[in-house]
Amino acid sequence: MSHKQVVMAGTDTRDLTKLAEYEAVGGYASLAKARTLGPEQITNELMASELRGRGGAFFPTGRKWSFVPSPEQNPNPHYLVINADESEPGSFKDNEIISRVPHRFIEGCLITAHAVLAKHVYVYIRGEYLGPYEILVAALEELKQRPDLRGDVTIVVHRGAGAYICGEETALLDSLEGKRGQPRTKPPFPAIAGLYASPTVVNNVETIATVPAIVEMGGAEYAKLGVPNSRGTRLISVSGHVERGGNYEVEPGISLKDLIFAPELGGGVPGGRAVKAVIPGGSSTVILTGDELDVGYDFDSLLAKNTAMGSAGVIVLDERVCMVQLGIRVSEFYEHESCGKCTPCREGTRWMTQILRKLEAGEATERELDLLLSVCDRINGKCLCPLGDTAAMAIASYVAKFRDEFVAHLDGGACPCGDHSPLDGVLAPVAQHIHDHASELVPA
Amino acid sequence: MTDHVTLTIDERTVTVPKGTGLVETAQAAGIEIPVFCYEPRLGPPVGACRMCLVEIEGMPKLQAGCTLTAQEGMVVRTARTSPLASEGQNSTLEFILVNHPLDCPVCDKGGECPLQDLTFRYGPGNTRMTFDKRTQEKPIPLSPTIALDRERCILCYRCTRFSESVSEDNDLVPLNRGANTVIGTFEDQPYRSRFSGNVVELCPVGALTSTQYRFEARPWDIQESPSVCGLCPVGCNISATTREGKVKRIQSRNHPQIDEGWLCDKGRFTYGHLTAADRIKTPLLKGEAGFEPLEWDDALDQAETLLRAGGDTVVTAFSGTESTEQAYALGRLLRAGLGANGAVLPEEIPTALDAYRAPLSSIRDATTIVILTRDLVADRAPIVDLWVKAARRNGATILTEIPEEKLEDAVLISDNAAHAAWLAQDIDAKSAFYLPRTPNGRGVADAWSAAGDGEASNEEPRVVIVSGDDAAADPAVRALAAGADFVIGIGLFQESFEGLADLVLPATSYLERDGTTVNLEGRVQRQRRAVIAPCPDELAWISKLAERFEVEVSPHASLAFEEISGRIYGGVSFAEIGEQAPLPPAAEKGAPVPAPKPVQVPVADGLRVIRYRPLFSGPVVDRVPEVEFQKADHEVGMNPADARERGVIDGDMVTVNSRGNFHRFKARIVRDLPAGTVRLSTYAEGDLTEFVAVRK
Repeated sequence: MSHKQVVMAGTDTRDLTKLAEYEAVGGYASLAKARTLGPEQITNELMASELRGRGGAFFPTGRKWSFVPSPEQNPNPHYLVINADESEPGSFKDNEIISRVPHRFIEGCLITAHAVLAKHVYVYIRGEYLGPYEILVAALEELKQRPDLRGDVTIVVHRGAGAYICGEETALLDSLEGKRGQPRTKPPFPAIAGLYASPTVVNNVETIATVPAIVEMGGAEYAKLGVPNSRGTRLISVSGHVERGGNYEVEPGISLKDLIFAPELGGGVPGGRAVKAVIPGGSSTVILTGDELDVGYDFDSLLAKNTAMGSAGVIVLDERVCMVQLGIRVSEFYEHESCGKCTPCREGTRWMTQILRKLEAGEATERELDLLLSVCDRINGKCLCPLGDTAAMAIASYVAKFRDEFVAHLDGGACPCGDHSPLDGVLAPVAQHIHDHASELVPA
Repeated sequence: MTDHVTLTIDERTVTVPKGTGLVETAQAAGIEIPVFCYEPRLGPPVGACRMCLVEIEGMPKLQAGCTLTAQEGMVVRTARTSPLASEGQNSTLEFILVNHPLDCPVCDKGGECPLQDLTFRYGPGNTRMTFDKRTQEKPIPLSPTIALDRERCILCYRCTRFSESVSEDNDLVPLNRGANTVIGTFEDQPYRSRFSGNVVELCPVGALTSTQYRFEARPWDIQESPSVCGLCPVGCNISATTREGKVKRIQSRNHPQIDEGWLCDKGRFTYGHLTAADRIKTPLLKGEAGFEPLEWDDALDQAETLLRAGGDTVVTAFSGTESTEQAYALGRLLRAGLGANGAVLPEEIPTALDAYRAPLSSIRDATTIVILTRDLVADRAPIVDLWVKAARRNGATILTEIPEEKLEDAVLISDNAAHAAWLAQDIDAKSAFYLPRTPNGRGVADAWSAAGDGEASNEEPRVVIVSGDDAAADPAVRALAAGADFVIGIGLFQESFEGLADLVLPATSYLERDGTTVNLEGRVQRQRRAVIAPCPDELAWISKLAERFEVEVSPHASLAFEEISGRIYGGVSFAEIGEQAPLPPAAEKGAPVPAPKPVQVPVADGLRVIRYRPLFSGPVVDRVPEVEFQKADHEVGMNPADARERGVIDGDMVTVNSRGNFHRFKARIVRDLPAGTVRLSTYAEGDLTEFVAVRK
C-alpha cells in the first residue's frame, strides 16, 4: 500500500537537504506564491485546510494565527517561535523532518512569518538534536546567499539545554528569554503576550513543514486528505517491540493495527509475539490494550477510547512487558522532568514513583495500590501545565487496564515477570536523561 | 456601572471594580481563597502552589483563583461550597506536607505559620506518606542574618521573585529541578542585598528565618509595638517584637504610601545596638582615667554649671536622630532659658519644596524620574530605590542629568535641597523628593524654629552641646567642639564621646521613646516606646534641668508635641497622626526660587573620587556584628566605560592610588555613576586624594 506524502514528499529519490535539490522539486515556489497573497489570505487557507497543531495539543493552526493582534492593536514586534524541542518519549518525527527536509521547514517558517507579520523567527531546538541542528544551520547558511528567498526575515536557531518542560510553549518562551524554563500561567496566551511580552505564534516543526504544501495545493484540497477532525497527513513515530521502528507519513484514519503490522509500516512484532499494549501518542497518553488495536488512528477515534494522538509516538509493547516496570520507567521520567514550579506535579510524580517501586518489589498492599490511584487522581487536573496531569493519567491508565497484573505484585507477590521483562527500545530509562558532562566540566 | 463587575462567589453576590483579582474579590464577599505563593507586591501571579484552586462555572478543570480577575457574571465556588475545590485544596496541602518535616514544635514560624493555619482549615487530618521524607542539610546560613531550612521550604518562590522583581538583585534563585528544587545563591555566596531580610517576612513557612530571632521567642509570648524606623529619612513603618522587655525582631508594618511593607536590612537587623557593650546608661564625667559614672543629681548640677558658664554662647550640634520633641525640649531650655540661639542643624530645607510634596508611592507611577544624587539613592533612603525600580519596571525613563527642557510629569529626586527647590520649578516637575542625610533632620529643624527665635551670639561658643552619636562623629562638629571650653555630649555609646566631651548624658534610641519624626516626604509620624531604655528619658531630665532656668518643658512627648504642633503643624494632635500617618497636602506654589550658584567641578588627571556614606555604616551599624558582611568599605564603584577601558570586570581586585598611597579594593561596576568618577565609601582609606588612578 502506498501512502500520500506531504511533509516528506520527494525524499525517496532526492537529498532535499540541499537548496538546489529542493528547488528542483519545486521548493520555495509556495513562498513566492504566498508573498503574492496577503497575510489574511494565507491564514484563511490554513483555516480551510483544517490543519491542527502537530505538537500534541491539536489546536487549529489557522485560528491560532488569527488571534495575533494587528500592529495597530499592539505595536510590539511580532515573533514566530518554532517548537523543535521534541522531547516526548516515543516521538522523533521532528528530528527526521529537520534532518531530511530542512528547506521545506524553512520555507514554512518564512510563509508563516509573512502570515503573522513576524520579522524574527526563533527555532528552539532540542539540545540533544545536534545532527538536525547542524543540518538546519547548514541550510540557513545556504539561504544567506539568497536574499530573494530570505527577504527581511531573520531566523535564529536556539539550542535547548535538555529540559522536557521546555517543550511546553510558555516554558520554552521563558527559556528562550534566558530565564529558568518553567511554564507561565495562561492567560495571557502567547498570541497576545508571548516572547518578550509581545504577540507570538508558537508552532511545532511538523505543522510548519506542512504549510508550504497547503499554500501550494490550497486549503480545501489539503482538507480532502485524512478524516474529519484529522485532516492531511501525519508523521508517526513507531517504536518499541516492532520489526520496523521509524517514522511513517500516513493519512490519519488508518487503523492502529495496520500501523503496527503492515509490512511497509511497523512490520509486526519480532518473534511473532502478541501485542500486550500500545501507547498511542507518546508517553503521556492513556495506554491501549492489545485488544483495542482495531481503532482508527485519528483524533475522534482515539478520543472515543479516552486517549489521543498526542505527538504521534506509537510505542508497541509485547507480551513480555511488566506493566509495573513500565509504570516506573514512565513515572521516573516525569519525576525527573517535573520543573518543580507547581506543587502537585513536583511532589506527586515523586510519590508515584516511590509507590510503584514498592509495588515492583512486592512490598505493597492493596491499600498502596489504591493510594497510587488516589495520588494520580489528586495530581490530575490540578497542575499548572499538562506535564503532571498527563503523567498521572498515563499511570492511572496502566492500573485501570492491567489491574490484575498490579494485584499480582501485591503482598509479597513480587514481579511475576521477574527480570524477563525487556523494556529495551521502549522509552529510554531516566538514567539516559541525566547529563554527567556538566559535573565533568565543572570540577567539584 | 461599566467600571464594576458583579459576580457570584459561593452563592454570595459581590460587586467589585473591574480588574480586581479573584482573591481580593472573595475577600470583599467575606470569603477566603487560601494562598501561599500569591503576593501581589511581587508582580503578576504565578499560580505555582495551587492552594487557591476554585471551581468556575463553565470551566472543566479547577482554576488557580489567584491568577484570575473578577469577570461579569462569573460563578465561583470555593472549598466552602464545592467538593471539587475542597478536594483540590486538600490535595495541594497533602502534597506540600508529604516531604515537609512537620517540626513545628521547634520551628520559629510555629504559631504564626500560614502552612499550619491553612492545614488546620483545609488540609488532611493525617498522612498517607509512608516513605522516608526528603532530607536536606539544614539550616544553611544563607547569610549571617538569614538561615535557610530547605526541608521546610514549600517552593512558593516568593523569596526568589522578591530577589528578581522587587530588589532586583537576582542573587536568590531556585536551583535544580522538580522535587530536587532548592532555593540558594550562586556558589553558596552569602545573600548580600540591602533588602535581604524581606524574604524572611515573605516566607509563608519556617524555611527562611532570621538568625537573630531563631529560638528567641514563641508567637504567644511576644508583644508587638507599632512604631516607625529611626535610621533613615524614609521612616518605614515597623512593628517591634518584644519579649520580656527586649526587642527580638523588627518587622514591617505596611504603610502603602511609604514602604509598601518592605524594610531595608539596616532597619530590620540592627536593633542589637540597644544592648551594645558601650551603651551609656548613667551620666558620665570626664575624670583623670577616662569617664566616670555620676549620680543624676550631680549630673544635673554639673550640666547647670556648664550651661551657666556658656550662657548665650552655647551652640547645640544636632544629629538629626533626635525626636522632634527632644529637639524642641532642648531648644526651649537653651533658647528660652539661656538665650542661646546657636545651633548646627543637620538639614536646611526650603519651604518652596513643600509645593512639590507627594507620597513616595507616587514615584511608581512616574513616567520620568530625574535622579540627582551623589550617594546612591539606596544608600541614603533605601526604600526610595525600590519605588524607583518599580517605576522602571513600569517603563519609566530614569535621567541622571539635569534635563534641558520642562518635564511636566517628572519626579525629581535630589540630595541638594536648595538646588532641588529651584530645579523643581525650572523643569516644572510634578513632585520633588529631597533625600535628607539624617533620619529626622527635618523635624529637628522644625522643632528648633518652634522653640524660640533670636539670633545666635557672635562670640566663640564657650560650651558646645553635641547631641547624638552621629554629630559626635562629624569632623565639622568635632572641630567646633575643640574650640570650646566645655563640651556636653548626649548619646547612646560611650566610645562616640571619648576624648570629646566633658560631661555625657545618656540618650534613648528610637525604639525606646515616644515622639514624632518627620520623614523626607514631610510626613509627621509617631514613634512608640517598644522597650524601656536603660536610662531616664531625655524629656524627663531636660524638663528637670529646664526648671533650674525657670523654663517650663513638659516631660511628656504628647504635651511637647501639642506645643510644637500648635506652632508649626496646624494643631494636629498626637492621636490624629495615628498608626498610619497621613501626608499633609502639597503647599501652594510660591515665589520663584533663585538659581543656586553652579558648583565648579575640579578637573585633573585620573578619576575623581566621589565619597559616599554607605547604608551599612555609622555608630548603630558598627555595633551589630551580624551585618558586618554587608559593609562595602573595601569596594570601589566604577563606571562601566572606565572599567572596560582598564580591563576591569565586576568583582576584580584593583589598585587605587594617589600621591604614592596605594590601596587594594574590590571593583563594583555601577551603571549610574558618571564617567570619569569612582565611588569610595567615606570610611575607605582617607589618604586617597580627590583624584586617583585605578588599575587592575
